[in-house]
Amino acid sequence: MLNLPRWQNWTITGVTLLSLLLALPNLLPGAVLRYLPSWYANNVINLGLDLSGGAHLLFDVDIRSVVRQRLIDLSDSIRIELRKQQLQARDITSDGTALTLTLREGTDAARVAQVIRDIEPGVLDVTNPSPTTLRVAYTQQELTQRRQQVLDQSIEIVRKRVDETGTKEPTIQRQGDERILVQVPGVENPDELIKLISTTAKMEFRLEGVGATILRPTKEGWDQVWPELAASERWQKETNKTLIAEEICRRQPSACMPVSRRVVVSGEELTDAQATFDQQTNRPIVSFRFTTSGGRAFCRATTDNVGKPLAIVLDERVISAPVIQSSICGGSGIITGNFTVQQTNELALQLRSGALPATLTVIERRTVGADLGADAIRAGTIAAIVGTVLVIAFMFLAYGPIFGGFANLAMAVNLLMVFAGMSLLGASLTLPGIAGLVLTVGMAVDSNVLIYERVREEQDLGRPPISALTAGYERALSAIIDANLTTLIAGILMFGFGSGPIKGFATTLSLGLLTSMFSSIIFTRMVLGLWLRHRRTKALVI
Amino acid sequence: MYKPIRLLPRKTNIDFLGKRVPALVLSTIVNIAAIVLVFTVGLNFGIDFRGGIAIEAKSLKGDADLAETRRITSGLGLGEVSLQEFGASDTILIRIQRQEGGSECVANASRLLAKAMGQGWGVRPVADAQSGNLEMTAPSRIGEEQARAAARALGLPDNLVQSGPTPTVVTLERDQRDEWCQQVAILVARDALSSTYEFRRTEAVGPKIGSELLTAGLISVGLTLVAIVIYVWVRFEWQFGVGALIAMLHDVLTTVGLFAITQIEFNLAALAALLTIAGYSINDTVVVFDRVRENLRRYKKLSLIELLNVSTNETLSRTIMTSGTTALAILALVIFGGPVLHSFSIAMLWGIFVGTYSTIWIANGALVYTNFRPDRMSGGNEKDGQDKTRSLDVRARP
Repeated sequence: MLNLPRWQNWTITGVTLLSLLLALPNLLPGAVLRYLPSWYANNVINLGLDLSGGAHLLFDVDIRSVVRQRLIDLSDSIRIELRKQQLQARDITSDGTALTLTLREGTDAARVAQVIRDIEPGVLDVTNPSPTTLRVAYTQQELTQRRQQVLDQSIEIVRKRVDETGTKEPTIQRQGDERILVQVPGVENPDELIKLISTTAKMEFRLEGVGATILRPTKEGWDQVWPELAASERWQKETNKTLIAEEICRRQPSACMPVSRRVVVSGEELTDAQATFDQQTNRPIVSFRFTTSGGRAFCRATTDNVGKPLAIVLDERVISAPVIQSSICGGSGIITGNFTVQQTNELALQLRSGALPATLTVIERRTVGADLGADAIRAGTIAAIVGTVLVIAFMFLAYGPIFGGFANLAMAVNLLMVFAGMSLLGASLTLPGIAGLVLTVGMAVDSNVLIYERVREEQDLGRPPISALTAGYERALSAIIDANLTTLIAGILMFGFGSGPIKGFATTLSLGLLTSMFSSIIFTRMVLGLWLRHRRTKALVI
Repeated sequence: MYKPIRLLPRKTNIDFLGKRVPALVLSTIVNIAAIVLVFTVGLNFGIDFRGGIAIEAKSLKGDADLAETRRITSGLGLGEVSLQEFGASDTILIRIQRQEGGSECVANASRLLAKAMGQGWGVRPVADAQSGNLEMTAPSRIGEEQARAAARALGLPDNLVQSGPTPTVVTLERDQRDEWCQQVAILVARDALSSTYEFRRTEAVGPKIGSELLTAGLISVGLTLVAIVIYVWVRFEWQFGVGALIAMLHDVLTTVGLFAITQIEFNLAALAALLTIAGYSINDTVVVFDRVRENLRRYKKLSLIELLNVSTNETLSRTIMTSGTTALAILALVIFGGPVLHSFSIAMLWGIFVGTYSTIWIANGALVYTNFRPDRMSGGNEKDGQDKTRSLDVRARP
């Protein structure tokens, strides 16, 4: 039992050394790390926001306003279509989730319903609760799809805006069906960030090179020059995109193109943009739709400038410049080109990204200043060190230098493995996480205590040393596994259901329990086996 | 040669189960008291569960003047504001109750807007009480830039404030307005205190998240208990599952009772402590149960109470050692871990003592009453019992 085959000893040693290697960058001082290759030195545990300082914001994406606006647009379309078919509704009202049409006596309700269904085929539920009323609502499927789309788009916009602030390693995640989690280290006052996130991007359609022109960078040009510009503090702090664009074009005119000074239509007039397929050629295209006034302005401009490129300018950079093929007067049009599906998706997203599609409400906000985080690290480290030293001393006192030493060695290996595991998983260490680590230290020696106490008992029953050790190991095993697994159940459920701070705690606790099974059962068994082989002891002092 | 210290004599023979009746009566009283306390005194829920705002602020000049700060905050129209020293004499924790999206919040927002944009700017709720809409007024027509600036001053998304003739309507759902009012309260507090305090940590939990966190917390406690009981049931007999469940409920309830009595803030960290206590208490219990199961096969003649006593005594030094090491580690957290972890560490320290107690008396005591018969554990391992028949007398060390 205690004498393991050689390959097992090597495997255990290998795993232990590997953990040491993985955990080492966390323990070495910065001065040493500088001489190590960065791929290795950078493999350290991320600090959670409560330790590094930063902002944690949870936004609720509200789709009700989107549906409400869409119903208003729909009621306009219904009036127009009905008029075309020489039909009439006495009244159309909206309650925010559905439209109610009141018809005149004798109107063919079925025909009206069919006309309405054809406006947006496949997505409308038209019911007829009484002979003279019709109820029009979007189908559940359409609403779900719409919610997805709104959320994706909001996340994209939020990501873009946070990225532009130049903060390091922001986390932008979807949470559930209607939430976005934004975590930004180093930001202490999130009011600025919240403002920035909810700021509308400026989108314009301008003719290219017509009349009085100004230079605007292309997307590629911006990406080339901006990093160089952002290196200086003056420009990084600049929020006025127009000034930045002008500076870029001053430095590198080749990265820019001339666009008309006059704005044809502004992005606020764009109501929708979707990636679809050309019905004839089946190629990916982007379709878009304007408001009535936007459509009129777009009609005039396109009629006069057929054959010329139209620049789509988003936040002062030209993201695309398709050529006007014909006059576009219906209020909606398409952009064709040699697009892949992905490209059309991106372009549609960019076109829509002018304004946030839905209202973002902050429903949870936690910010920690960097110096408070530093205080927390200090307090946590002191507590961890004191706790560990106390446990080590206690184990030495209780089980003597040899067995106490083995248990403490196992605990050190356990800590190394937790560090290694967290580096590997990319998990963040939080203040509750440190608490979990301290708790793990106290609990990790439990398995050794179980074994040792059992060995003592077996010895008291009169067994010789090796037999007592072997029996102690074997008999303690089931209790160790049961005890660890039950606590692990609590840890895993905590991870699944907990939020924020609880997750950090659950991570270190569960990881610590898992690795403690290796360190105190497998690792100490090897150490004991090796010790016994070198020192044929007559009596165990335990 | 070094001689390790033994905390206990080599062989103890304490009649734990003989005192099960007083222990059970005591625990029943304590548990009922805990439940009564929770419903009468109530828990001091933190903002995680109740919603609201917590601000840790450090005084810019010397010690924090609590009386002066209390005078300022009570006049802000933010409802109940509690102040306490937090960790150091120059640091305070300001807790502001969850904001309702009512007229007071809108009035506060209106003041902020006037301060940022100038005379004549303001917001007020619309007459329709069903919607959360606001009406924004300005001295003259609202330009595009002005609309953006106004939205920013109020902490509202840009797309909600339209440029155009005054007054303009800001479309908000009722619940959105409730959420937004938490942000308004932070802006108000910052505005009032920024000359004397530096805000080191700000947490705001809206009503929506608060209730969700509480639900998720309750579910996770319930699921943890169920999952652990199922595990114990599968690994042992159902009676052990019952014993484990009663012991865990005991520990969780008394810990909640501790929170009610001391009025220590019950927050997410406290919930984590509750779950860990459930896991830790069962950890202890399982070790004793494991020994009971083993002894069932070994000593077929002992009565149940004797058997439980023997098993508890045999594992006693381990129980004390493990509780000791864990308590030491946690003690370090209580003393050095800082104010944020305080409620967590106190609860854990308590949980370790209660967990040890409940293992000995509650889990074992429950086993006595579950009509648990040792002879049900059939198929005892004969080989295991052969070489050492139980002798209660002490043997000499060879």
